[in-house]
Amino acid sequence: MIHYLIDPFMDFVFMRRALVGCLALSLSAPPIGVFLMLRRMSLMGDAMSHAILPGAAIGYLLAGLSLFAMSLGGFAAGIAVALLAGLVARSTVLREDASLAAFYLCSLALGVLIVSVRGNSIDLLHVLFGTVLALDDHAILLIGAIATVSTAALAIIYRPLVLECFDPQFLRSVSRWSSPTHFIFLVLVVMNLIGGFQALGTLMVVGIMLLPAITARFWAQDISGLVVVSVLAAFVASLIGLLLSYYANVPTSPAIILMAGVFYLLSMLVGWQGGLLWQLMPRKHLEA
Amino acid sequence: MTRRLLLALGLILAALLAVPQGASADDKMKVAASFSILGDMVKQVGGDRVDVVTFVGPNGDAHVYEPTPADAKALSESKILFINGLGLEGWMTRLENSSGFKGKVVTASTGVNPRKMVEDEKTITDPHAWQSLANGKIYAANIRDALIAADPAGKATYEANAKKFIDGMTAMEANVKAAVAKMPPERRKIITTHDAFGYFGSAYGMEFIAPEGVSTESEASAQDVAKIITQIKKEHIPAVFLENVTDSRLLDQIASETGAKIGGTLYSDALSAPDGPAGNYLDMFRNNIDTLSTALSS
Amino acid sequence: MNGRPAIKFNDLTLGYDRHPAVHHVTGEVEEGELLALVGPNGAGKSTLLKGIMGELSPLDGSIDLDGLDRHEIAYLPQQIDIDRSFPVTVFDCVSMGLWREIGIWRGIDVRRKPAVTGALSALGLLDFVDRVIGSLSGGQFQRVLFARLLLQDARLILLDEPFRAVDTKTIADLIVLIERWHKEGRTVIAALHDIEQVRAHFPKTLLLAREVVAWGPTRSMLTPENLARAGQLSAAFDAEAEICERATPPQERESV
Repeated sequence: MIHYLIDPFMDFVFMRRALVGCLALSLSAPPIGVFLMLRRMSLMGDAMSHAILPGAAIGYLLAGLSLFAMSLGGFAAGIAVALLAGLVARSTVLREDASLAAFYLCSLALGVLIVSVRGNSIDLLHVLFGTVLALDDHAILLIGAIATVSTAALAIIYRPLVLECFDPQFLRSVSRWSSPTHFIFLVLVVMNLIGGFQALGTLMVVGIMLLPAITARFWAQDISGLVVVSVLAAFVASLIGLLLSYYANVPTSPAIILMAGVFYLLSMLVGWQGGLLWQLMPRKHLEA
Repeated sequence: MTRRLLLALGLILAALLAVPQGASADDKMKVAASFSILGDMVKQVGGDRVDVVTFVGPNGDAHVYEPTPADAKALSESKILFINGLGLEGWMTRLENSSGFKGKVVTASTGVNPRKMVEDEKTITDPHAWQSLANGKIYAANIRDALIAADPAGKATYEANAKKFIDGMTAMEANVKAAVAKMPPERRKIITTHDAFGYFGSAYGMEFIAPEGVSTESEASAQDVAKIITQIKKEHIPAVFLENVTDSRLLDQIASETGAKIGGTLYSDALSAPDGPAGNYLDMFRNNIDTLSTALSS
Repeated sequence: MNGRPAIKFNDLTLGYDRHPAVHHVTGEVEEGELLALVGPNGAGKSTLLKGIMGELSPLDGSIDLDGLDRHEIAYLPQQIDIDRSFPVTVFDCVSMGLWREIGIWRGIDVRRKPAVTGALSALGLLDFVDRVIGSLSGGQFQRVLFARLLLQDARLILLDEPFRAVDTKTIADLIVLIERWHKEGRTVIAALHDIEQVRAHFPKTLLLAREVVAWGPTRSMLTPENLARAGQLSAAFDAEAEICERATPPQERESV
């Protein structure tokens, strides 16, 4: 039985590489997703993934399927949108959500326009759907580097980030770290989206960032618990998704994300923290 | 103030109307072709007597094309629309309807004996008939006859052009067959990402194996990729070829895992840019057979 | 009281979008003072505190903090901005008060832990150490915020309506803490709405109604006449308002 799980990875290099790529992504993206979720910015992840499209599209049109060009372009576009949205939110009547919505929609439209002017629909599909089965050395290096930098940065700004999330006023009153923390966090979001989109495409990458984090909510309450569960959930979903793609002959990225979705649904039913099943079975209250 | 404004507007309008409606004085017949390969064939047969507009351009993908309003406009001004047929242009009906096209639709592949192929457990018609020069001749004849029917005055020109074109195809056919003969029989198989060389393979005795199905819309699954790698290793397939419409990264991955050679670029569904290695139909064959020979003869 | 001013207001006007929330404030708060900020709703009390904190830039005039870095001021806003559903424990929340010492990186090690437990103990929170803040009542949460303030060990403490929606027992405990701060020589300014509380515990009062109505010892300033005058001054802002020409409005002052 075990050999069904191991064989595809033993037999094929591309499967091993895909697994390594997914492992790196699973370490890197879900913790970011945990913070996005806690800050009620879950939809922002999706917005940012659309915002990076024109950058990636320009990179693709200038240099073909060049990892460097597409990543750089995507990164620049993501940061630009995040910065502009933040700036507008701080200096006009608009709040952050409206400001971000405005910019990412413009960005997305621009991306579609650019691609259709120079390329054709198949180009768009390539920019939208990466494939985890074709991760070459550069792609793995990029994902690995992003995972390392992202995890390290998150560890460093952990405290101000937590404060930024639940009591930004206090953070502003005692230190100058408020704006830098917010900005660094956005950079990490964009970086992880870039790392992920080469493997999963711009449509799916937010899935690996958010679904495991949202799943974790049903199993843990404190932040470190959330991080651990989300990373595990992401990795197991990737593993099973890859195996499904291998044995059931289905495309890989949707398989992985759907698996993550299945975990979410299961957790919603039976998760220790507020799973629906436990809510239906009343338990005796504690002494204090 | 308002009066001056109205006067200015009036002058601008008059100027616009006075611009000569250039096209009407033109004596070239306007025709349309669905994609680059067909467009080139129509140009070869029609010569100076036709003005060809092509929808899916060089390096484009005719399977999943999204027509633009400019295309609709160009089509509405054309007398003949040449399509490949055999299920290639799924988007054509929509374009015809939206442009209000009233001309004649000519299916270039009429009279071709179509191949069948299996895609996702479904048997469909393989549309890439032009990849066999024998079929190419049929295409050229159909194009010639359609042009003559629409423009009888040009009969002599069209017949001459077509004959020249078809002669070129005959010469190329000999080339291709000779080149294949030079390849050791066990090496006459390759992997390419696009399952578009069925007709070429059966006409000239080569086997083309693809990791994805005919349409470029579908994303490969891990099982597909594993199957291809296993096959390459088992049957010692020597080379892996790039094709100008799909993802090369997947191909690179397969090549590196199996040790097969990456052979170069083959053109199947579209021509290259005009100054590129496959700028017209015959050059496309020349490029493809040269690339294949280099990889497989050694 | 050594008479050195902790805060100097120079013809300060603070507001939003050119409409002043508080006009032409001039005066000084001495170091070590315990000052109550009183006035009807919309009087500008929160605005004044935000101005001192630097959260709001003056429309006119200035505030001089005698070289104090605003990051060394302890500020308790009206609770609105805190996300109570966030998974953070009482201990973690309170220990943030040590920020000036630990910054983003240093841990709450053996050396610092006693300070945190001390603050928790002073506010009666030792039994709540590991609870998440979402599970606390209003009064308990206010204690948490005060414990954090305590740890900040600040020279200047600003409190904006610290007793709103808090139970009487907690209020009593918090007032004990405030008086302790006063004894330690810290400058404390509290915006309050309960006049009796002010009369009972706060020696100085600044009566505000978008402009200074009275400023000085509570006993002589917090008179019914002054309170009535404060109530009369308009609370809403006038969309058709003209440019303000007055330099200093009429007010009652008594320095000590």
